[in-house]
Amino acid sequence: MLEQQLINGLTLGVIYAMIAVGYTMVYGVIELINFAHGEIFMLGAFFCMTFITVFGVPFYLAIFLAMCCCAVCGVLLDIIAYRPLRNSPRLAALITAIGMSIFLQNLALMIWGSRPRPFPKDALPEFFSQTALTFGDVKLTWLQLFIFAVTIAMMVGLNLIITKTKAGTAMRALAQNKQAAALMGINVNRIISFTFILGSSMGAVAGVLVSVFYNTMYPMMGYTAGVKAFAAAVLGGIGSVPGAMIGGVILGVAEALGAGYVSSLYRDGVAYAIMIAVILFRPSGILGRLVGDKA
Amino acid sequence: MSRGNLIKLAAAAILLTFPMTGFASDYLLHVLTLIMVYMVLAMGLNIVPGFCGLLDLGFVGFYGIGAYTAGLLTINYGLSMWMLVPLAALNGAVWGILLGAPTLRLTGDYFAIVTFGFSELVVLFLTNEIWLTRGPLGLPGIEPASIDLSWLSTMINPDWDWYYEFYGETPYFYLAIAMVLGVYFMMRRLEDSRLGRAWYAIREDPLAAASSGINILNYKVIAFAISAGIGALAGCFFARWTLFLSPDMFKFWESFLVLCMVVLGGLGNINGALVGATVLIALGEVLRGVLPTLGLPAETRFMAYGLIMVLIMRFRPAGFIPKIADASLKNPIIIKLKRELKAKGALS
Repeated sequence: MLEQQLINGLTLGVIYAMIAVGYTMVYGVIELINFAHGEIFMLGAFFCMTFITVFGVPFYLAIFLAMCCCAVCGVLLDIIAYRPLRNSPRLAALITAIGMSIFLQNLALMIWGSRPRPFPKDALPEFFSQTALTFGDVKLTWLQLFIFAVTIAMMVGLNLIITKTKAGTAMRALAQNKQAAALMGINVNRIISFTFILGSSMGAVAGVLVSVFYNTMYPMMGYTAGVKAFAAAVLGGIGSVPGAMIGGVILGVAEALGAGYVSSLYRDGVAYAIMIAVILFRPSGILGRLVGDKA
Repeated sequence: MSRGNLIKLAAAAILLTFPMTGFASDYLLHVLTLIMVYMVLAMGLNIVPGFCGLLDLGFVGFYGIGAYTAGLLTINYGLSMWMLVPLAALNGAVWGILLGAPTLRLTGDYFAIVTFGFSELVVLFLTNEIWLTRGPLGLPGIEPASIDLSWLSTMINPDWDWYYEFYGETPYFYLAIAMVLGVYFMMRRLEDSRLGRAWYAIREDPLAAASSGINILNYKVIAFAISAGIGALAGCFFARWTLFLSPDMFKFWESFLVLCMVVLGGLGNINGALVGATVLIALGEVLRGVLPTLGLPAETRFMAYGLIMVLIMRFRPAGFIPKIADASLKNPIIIKLKRELKAKGALS
């Protein structure tokens, strides 16, 4: 029982970690809580479903296409909504982010309807639902293994991009000091767009994985998932990419254990409670540097 | 009499006689009352982001606490509306202090997120504690407000009817006017008090405020408690007016809507909050009527809200009636000084 809960929590946790990375990168670079990131995650699931059902695209290609679409959405979001407000009060930018979140949510509601939809099962590889490994009572499905494999691959890839490539170095420079980075000849807007591309495409993959894992998607799913991912980012230390990964995993496990042993009704409450507690007692999070005073 | 006062007097006369005219349908009265409820909410929220410069995303939590306090006390203990008004406001203020005291030392986004988490927890509590709130089924059977003066009847005239029940939209319309006026005058007094000036000082420059001896945290907690109390007061009225409550009524969306009103009107501006509430609720009703005739679904209404908010932030980040942030700018001595400096070319 405990082990099974742990495995389920870990599966959710790595997905939260993927969304949290998107939050934390954007926060690190432009110091904005991108409230609309949860909606990008939701759009990822819906794009993937649409590609499969309407255009008959195979599953793996559909994921890739959904990533591309969400990357475009993320960049557009930045250019249309956030870029004009770069030098405005932070309050204005934050309200814009909430406004975009509500706009996208209702846009999806209009396009795809409010009823939850199942993920197109026929498109999935058949072995997904079969049990891959058993340890005693604990069962691990191929789907869960797939989720672990994809997330680990993406995390490793992301870390390589951030630490080894020129664009990644520029991103880190920007997070340290925007003016100094600009003086060094970094094209600030291009690097911010790059950040949105990375974050949004990871969010899209997370959206697809969640909708496959729960076999459901609905336009409001970005809201709770977004809040939890944000809580994960705060827990790990907002602005820190490895922190977001650790935070996501911890949050997923805490939520599964909380739902199993405390009360399943307060499943979502665990995330909020952890978030509030962390902000109160250690605002910089597990791995973060303190950026609260910049606000 | 100044022009501003004349406008106010005319508006008051129109409002007071409105229910007696032929235009007044139940629907119109309902919408006007709704606007007034949101006016009170907007004025209450305005204190925190407007006067103190802190983003509060959890305001709807206090609104919900006030509404459920009123609803539960009246169902379980049969308390009258007039007892509930102070009780609900007090309960809201107490929760404001409980949340504010530890969190108000946080700055910027962190404070916004904590308040957001708080309001989500309130909704979860209202949804899940079924033994207390009946959960998602909602809370029906709240008594309407009434005035019972039967204790006077023995002294004056036992034959008169000393009991009046608020039935239909018209009495609540008048009650809402009274509530808006009460809160409005309280806000006006607050704005010009030592307290209000301290808030402005904190908003404009916390460091300077602290070094001139203002205890920032205390003043912020007071602001938060008053704001929460006003939110709960509006909730109390709302419970007694709609006679039904459900947790869905107090979701994050409401906080955002009220925040939109405050920002639309101009942060920190009391009249702005009134204008913002009127514009956004009226806009919502107009869109509700217009959209179906254009063949558009209801969701476009919320899309429009989101988009309007983005556009306002883009083109008028300070709102439609921006507040002159620094009260000293209105000071004649300073105006004269500035003019002299400008003439000398020292001030651009």
